[in-house]
Amino acid sequence: MLARPRPIVIVILLALLAYAIALPFFGGTFALKFAARVMITGIFVISLDLLIGVTGLVSFGHALYFGLGAYSLYFISPVSAAANGFLAIPFAILLAGIVALIVGSVVVLTKGFYFIMVTLAFGQMGFSLFFDTKIAGGTDGAYINVRPVFSIGSQQLLNFSNRTAFFYFCLAALVLSYIFLLWLVRTPFGRVLQGIKHNEPRMSALGFNTYAYKLASYVIAGAMAGFAGMLFAAIDGYVAPELLGWRESGLAIMMVVLGGAGTLYGPVLGAILYSIVEETLKSSSELTAIFSLVMNGATAKWLGGIVANSWSMALGFFLIAAVLAAPKGIAGFIEKYAGEAKRARPREIAPSAEHRERAKAMQLEVENLSRAFGGLVAVNGVSVKFPPNKVHGIIGPNGAGKTTFINVLSGALKPTKGSIRLESEEIGGQKPHNVARRGLGRSYQRTNVLLPFTARENCALAAQAQFPSPFRFSNKWRRDEEDRAVEAALKAAGIAPERADMKASNLSHGEQRQLEIAMLIASGAKLLLLDEPLAGMGPEETGRVTALLRELSADHTIVLIEHDMDAIFAAADTLTVLVEGKLLAHGAPEEIRNNKAVREAYLGEWGREGKP
Amino acid sequence: MDLVLIQLLNGVQYGLLIFLAASGLTLVFGIMGVINLSHGSFYMLGAYGALTLTQFTGDIFLSLALGVPLAFLFGVIIEWLFIRHLYDRDHLQQVLLTFALILIFNEAQKLLWGSYPHSVPVPGYLQGGVKISALLTYPYYRIAVAAFCVAIALAMMFVIQKTRIGRIIRAGESNREMVEALGIDSRLLFRFVFAAGAALAATAGIVASPLESVYPGIGEPVLIISFVVVVIGGIGSIKGAFVGALLIGVADALGKVYFPAFSSSIVYALMAAVLIARPGGLFGRAA
Amino acid sequence: MSAPAILAENINTHYGRSHILRGVSFRVAPGETVSLLGRNGMGKTTLLRTLAGLVRPSSGSVRLNGTDVTSSRASARSRAGLAIVPEGRGIFPNLTVAENLTFASRPNNKGERPWPLERVYALFPRLSERKHHWGNELSGGEQQMLSIGRALMTSPSIILLDEATEGLAPKLRDEIWSTVKQIAQSGIAAIIVDKNLNDLLALADRNTIMAKGEIVFDGTSAALRADEALIHRHLGV
Repeated sequence: MLARPRPIVIVILLALLAYAIALPFFGGTFALKFAARVMITGIFVISLDLLIGVTGLVSFGHALYFGLGAYSLYFISPVSAAANGFLAIPFAILLAGIVALIVGSVVVLTKGFYFIMVTLAFGQMGFSLFFDTKIAGGTDGAYINVRPVFSIGSQQLLNFSNRTAFFYFCLAALVLSYIFLLWLVRTPFGRVLQGIKHNEPRMSALGFNTYAYKLASYVIAGAMAGFAGMLFAAIDGYVAPELLGWRESGLAIMMVVLGGAGTLYGPVLGAILYSIVEETLKSSSELTAIFSLVMNGATAKWLGGIVANSWSMALGFFLIAAVLAAPKGIAGFIEKYAGEAKRARPREIAPSAEHRERAKAMQLEVENLSRAFGGLVAVNGVSVKFPPNKVHGIIGPNGAGKTTFINVLSGALKPTKGSIRLESEEIGGQKPHNVARRGLGRSYQRTNVLLPFTARENCALAAQAQFPSPFRFSNKWRRDEEDRAVEAALKAAGIAPERADMKASNLSHGEQRQLEIAMLIASGAKLLLLDEPLAGMGPEETGRVTALLRELSADHTIVLIEHDMDAIFAAADTLTVLVEGKLLAHGAPEEIRNNKAVREAYLGEWGREGKP
Repeated sequence: MDLVLIQLLNGVQYGLLIFLAASGLTLVFGIMGVINLSHGSFYMLGAYGALTLTQFTGDIFLSLALGVPLAFLFGVIIEWLFIRHLYDRDHLQQVLLTFALILIFNEAQKLLWGSYPHSVPVPGYLQGGVKISALLTYPYYRIAVAAFCVAIALAMMFVIQKTRIGRIIRAGESNREMVEALGIDSRLLFRFVFAAGAALAATAGIVASPLESVYPGIGEPVLIISFVVVVIGGIGSIKGAFVGALLIGVADALGKVYFPAFSSSIVYALMAAVLIARPGGLFGRAA
Repeated sequence: MSAPAILAENINTHYGRSHILRGVSFRVAPGETVSLLGRNGMGKTTLLRTLAGLVRPSSGSVRLNGTDVTSSRASARSRAGLAIVPEGRGIFPNLTVAENLTFASRPNNKGERPWPLERVYALFPRLSERKHHWGNELSGGEQQMLSIGRALMTSPSIILLDEATEGLAPKLRDEIWSTVKQIAQSGIAAIIVDKNLNDLLALADRNTIMAKGEIVFDGTSAALRADEALIHRHLGV
């Protein structure tokens, strides 16, 4: 999970800030304008980092909102008078935000490659809307003759045509934007966004409506980009359709990656570096000066002229070299040399006076459930009842449809027919996050925790799922309650306290599987669906987890798939045997062991010999 | 009515041309898993290459015969220089590197051919057109282009369904690792597929060059439209690219008649509609 | 005495941070059938994948019929005579049965084709009946036959079978075992991973057991049968 910036990063950022504050005292008009442009670009690219680096959505159409923000200033500015800044800013944010909401509701449906292409296409749609029509001057662009002014009554507070005032305004806007995002990603809302980036199905299975979260992230990023665009239009007082185009979007991605995606400060550094490199490559005199360090003056001048003439080609090579050599960007270098980030120490929690009452476990009943893939019927007319507070094992040869069965129960797959009732409520065909909210939690065949997060952070996310609204920006509310749930879950699942603050990727395989169970407990699920929780565990770990399952059945209903026959025969209260998608038998372990059909179909030699 | 007919014909012909470009894009992503933003640059280089070659050969079809192998070779070089570093990297870095390639190709185009638009002559024997009504004719060259594109599409379907390389390509779409495990060097496969994709885009650029002027950035709209086609058709599906390209071509052409100001928006709206109904595209596996 | 069909020495393989294979050395003589046993997650599949070149070991060496292939790609190892029938079968769903079979058909390094299409169809008559069906239209058992048949058509000197009968009904399982026996008798060396201990003991010339990324037993079927404690500890029967 995104940690607070390290001391070295804070030092770098403060140094840059000090430099920027001092700039108007020694920099010329050009320098001020250049710096303002860089800072506005900085706001634009950190808003993109919220999508790319934090939420994992690679948007190739983010300039749409930047451009709309710029045009919004044109729309709100009277022809020959100043716009009211107090209106211009909300208008830009609102316009970009509303368009982001509309576009986002479609694009967020897609993933990966599709998301990239679809955002690109929508960006181009916005571009062609301004390019092909006569809105705001069409291809020629349009001028904003007078810059916005902020005034209360007759008292003028700020005028954007004052270069220095505008510069400081942009600086303040960048600093506030950075602090805002830094705060946002650490709220319960932001933590879920980070979870989605690393493992969206898991977040969905915990009960988070990932669509809503991603859409919210998309709208916030769009609104911020709109704000940046409005400031950008105020630099030159000119807007053109190209501002919305895919090149702008592409360059923004460049800066994010160049600086280091997912760090928030990285993209700002990326914007600075990119702008400086571009400016240098465009200037033959600066290039000559650089080249003359390693060659004689005439050659340097000749080469400088050539490079400056084709500066965008040089820029292309620079970017390729940067991607290949430093895939994690500038921030990657800083983090590498700064060592592992310090993580916040867990808070002391006041022990709660009232004893947590044992919540009631839930019953799951399946009737005539089928799921087909094309012609293949993976689950075929299964009817079975799993009463509460018991451990129910599902066994059967691989390919018997066990995992499909669990996927249908958890909502990851829709049933072809049949019904699934949790207590008395029908949950068949509902979305995973809705099923999860009703108290059904699941684990996966492959370990499916959020590897870059600590064990405690994983559980905190799960605990948060008890109240999964995307509009949760406060850390305080419900915090004690959730922290207690996390502690209890870690303890119940047997994760040693000294391991709880290690990244999940550094835990052993067995611990990761225990963490997965801990997440389910923390999420408050009352019925646990576990897909091979013992896979890859040694004998002691197996023994420990089996005992844990027995213990958990005191206030949970547990349904698990398992191949370890010894363990499941010992642990389960009932066994359900699936073969080729059909229910072959269901009953107590002893009955199953003595069932001739089961022995022949599944247990083979072992069953025939009848060994324990 | 005649105008609608002409636009419809243009739409089909444009769609067929876009199919050439989009099929290359969909193959490269479907098999190699690489997002190639520089795909439009191969179209541009095809168009400019046709300009230069036709100055020597005098005939666009001779230029085509020379240009396609050159484009294939160029694709091999670009794959070797840049693209092969991207196979085990994420989408973000692929986007970045191929975007940087666009900057390089565009600048190279400016250095070699300058910033002014050029035109490529239609060969003498294809001047004129079919009379549709008293006032309107439909140019022979456009008919020839449409026929050529259909021939290429059929040839591609034949290669993919009936030949060994086609089997390898189909297999590569479903299980790259198994292709490697069965003795086919995936590095060579990828190089071939990338070069074939580049050659397809260049082919489109070459045959399109006499249709409109050749100008800087000519490949970029083609890239974007190809993306839309791939999304509509479903990633990796040649059939999907074909249907998607025709849909886009016709929608664009009719849009130009009925909603001239919003014709490009119509194309994107069509894409959005397909995505909402079928997030994996018309012929794609569910995303 | 000819070189071993496969000779792996001191293989270490990592996935990210986890150390999956810990100094594994493994040898299969030409024509020998070796079982690879052990619980789930002990490294059997990783060993097969490392031998096939699908996973790069962090250290160690692999020799195939005496030739060092440590740095060769999977495709080169396949052409040098190693075939893998992977877990999950690896059938190409969008190719027909016949296309799947002939996909990588090639002679061995002596220019012979010991397993031409007719012989594969004779071994698996069901594939012949379904030769025009798509790969994804087959049942699990037919897919496994197809995967084995496809491997044979590359004229291998050694074949790696991962989870050879996983998910198959007992009757089909017996069918697969009898064909594996025929393949072994034809002189192809084999490494077989499977859960059915008794079937493997009947088939294999030699048995190995993996636990926690190491080989913990290497011996004949008789020796393994005699050591019930070992079986109980590592195979849970």
